[in-house]
Amino acid sequence: MTDATATSKATISKLIPVAAPLALLAVLAAFPLLGPGPNGIRLLFVTLVWVTTSVAWNLLGGFAGQVSFGFAVFYGLGAYSTAMSLNAGLDRPVSLLIGAAVAVTASLFIGLPTFRLRGPYFAIATIGVSEAVRVVMTNVAVTGGASGYRLSEHGNFNQLLHFYTALSVAVIAVAVSIFVRRSKFGLALVAIREDEDAASDLGVNPFRTKLLAHALAAALTGAAGGVYTGYAAFIYPQGVFGFDISVAILLMPIIGGVGTVWGPVVGALVYGFVHEELIASFPQLHLLLYGSLLILIILFEPGGVMGLLGKIVRFARSRSGRGAHS
Amino acid sequence: MAPILRLDRISKNFAGLAALKDVSFEVEEGGLFGLIGPNGAGKTTLLSVIAGSQAPSSGSITFRGRDFTGARSFRAVRSGIARTHQVPKPFRSLSVLENVEVGYRFGCDDRSASASKDAAQVLEWVGIGHLKQLPASRLSVGDLKRLELARTLAARPKLLLCDEVCSGLTETEAASVLRLLGEIRGAGTTILYVEHNLRAIMSICDRVIVMNYGQKLAEGPPEAMQNDPSVIEAYIGKAASI
Repeated sequence: MTDATATSKATISKLIPVAAPLALLAVLAAFPLLGPGPNGIRLLFVTLVWVTTSVAWNLLGGFAGQVSFGFAVFYGLGAYSTAMSLNAGLDRPVSLLIGAAVAVTASLFIGLPTFRLRGPYFAIATIGVSEAVRVVMTNVAVTGGASGYRLSEHGNFNQLLHFYTALSVAVIAVAVSIFVRRSKFGLALVAIREDEDAASDLGVNPFRTKLLAHALAAALTGAAGGVYTGYAAFIYPQGVFGFDISVAILLMPIIGGVGTVWGPVVGALVYGFVHEELIASFPQLHLLLYGSLLILIILFEPGGVMGLLGKIVRFARSRSGRGAHS
Repeated sequence: MAPILRLDRISKNFAGLAALKDVSFEVEEGGLFGLIGPNGAGKTTLLSVIAGSQAPSSGSITFRGRDFTGARSFRAVRSGIARTHQVPKPFRSLSVLENVEVGYRFGCDDRSASASKDAAQVLEWVGIGHLKQLPASRLSVGDLKRLELARTLAARPKLLLCDEVCSGLTETEAASVLRLLGEIRGAGTTILYVEHNLRAIMSICDRVIVMNYGQKLAEGPPEAMQNDPSVIEAYIGKAASI
């Protein structure tokens, strides 16, 4: 191998981490222009909402290792409070911010008691809280209880507006994730995941750090719920607070690669597109399929799609490296 | 010199078990203190109580003139009390350098201390600078012990609590770690060194506290402790029973 090709290869491998996301963003942004039809745009819209929640969950569950089964609380509260704000005549961005703020408030109320627990105890507590919130919301009269809440849309329905709102929020989520991963805060999160006591012995305040990560994740998940509501125009407790929402939000980063920046994005893209097909093809069986998928990933490739890709790249490199030497 | 650390009648109970009972002593600033005792004497528990990993059941801890009783460990380390663990607790997925960065970036409140060694320099100091890009999961036991020490030093402690930094090391490795402790002390850090191995501690400490069954048994210069009948009894039993 000559020096020139070695240098250009090195430059290419440095450019990929920057170029690939930008290319993905360009494709996503241009997607509606490619004539996919309203149903194609709807599918990608929903997928982008999932990307946001998946990236958000990963901030707490991936970076900090705090596995929560309760993210439907933030999704649902974001959805309801955004819907109520829109109905009160507030702007869309303001309503989304209100949705995020309500979710953050909830995250603090949930985090203060539950972050005193560790590992599986924390996970179990989040299931309890999530179910409690769903039951309460099913019985609250102001929001229509079990029969749901309707958004009275003013003006004409504009699908592209919703699509680009979802894309913007997803981009913000990924940007937050990249920033956190590279920050001092991100270092503290990973230290907590690896050994909470050792992190504390070195000056990290684990409780406060986890609470902050929870709040940040809740804000993004709440906004995602709000984006979804704006589009769906009708929400009901089982739909946005359901346990299956919590499981889906946790499943996506695991499929893609937990604890990485891009794994949750990839996982959400896979889940978003496959989910509809699975529901349509196996309406009775799709949850069983997810369960089996989860077991397979955890057993054979805990790094998810990104972990698998990394292995393939390393394998290919070692092969080509050997080829150059022989 | 004024004591940097004062323990006053520290007790720690785990349910019905008294792990520490009325332990009192003072640590002079700038010294290298040994804390010895047989297995189960309460040495590590005492270290955990001083470092804030566990709250004492009663008694008080004064550090640099301020009451530190029951301070949480992240507060203790930011104020200058840092500990190592007997069994290293590395952040396995992080690189060696990142491990030390945690201590460097979170472990010290004192801005004026920032002029001292940064994370990479600390790694060079303890002798694992060449490993800084490796994930901590790939380190040998000896290097993990050094990483544990490096991380703690990066927090720029005024009082360093070392828990058996030599256990599990070969003789040569242990000797170089002991030399390092001497250097750390030379750089102005007070050290409280818990050790099971008597020989290690006698060679470098200027004062030794002996513990047994959660209580302070004796305190004094190493030579005196080596010949103290109660210390000998605690370690190897009564002379008559040999």
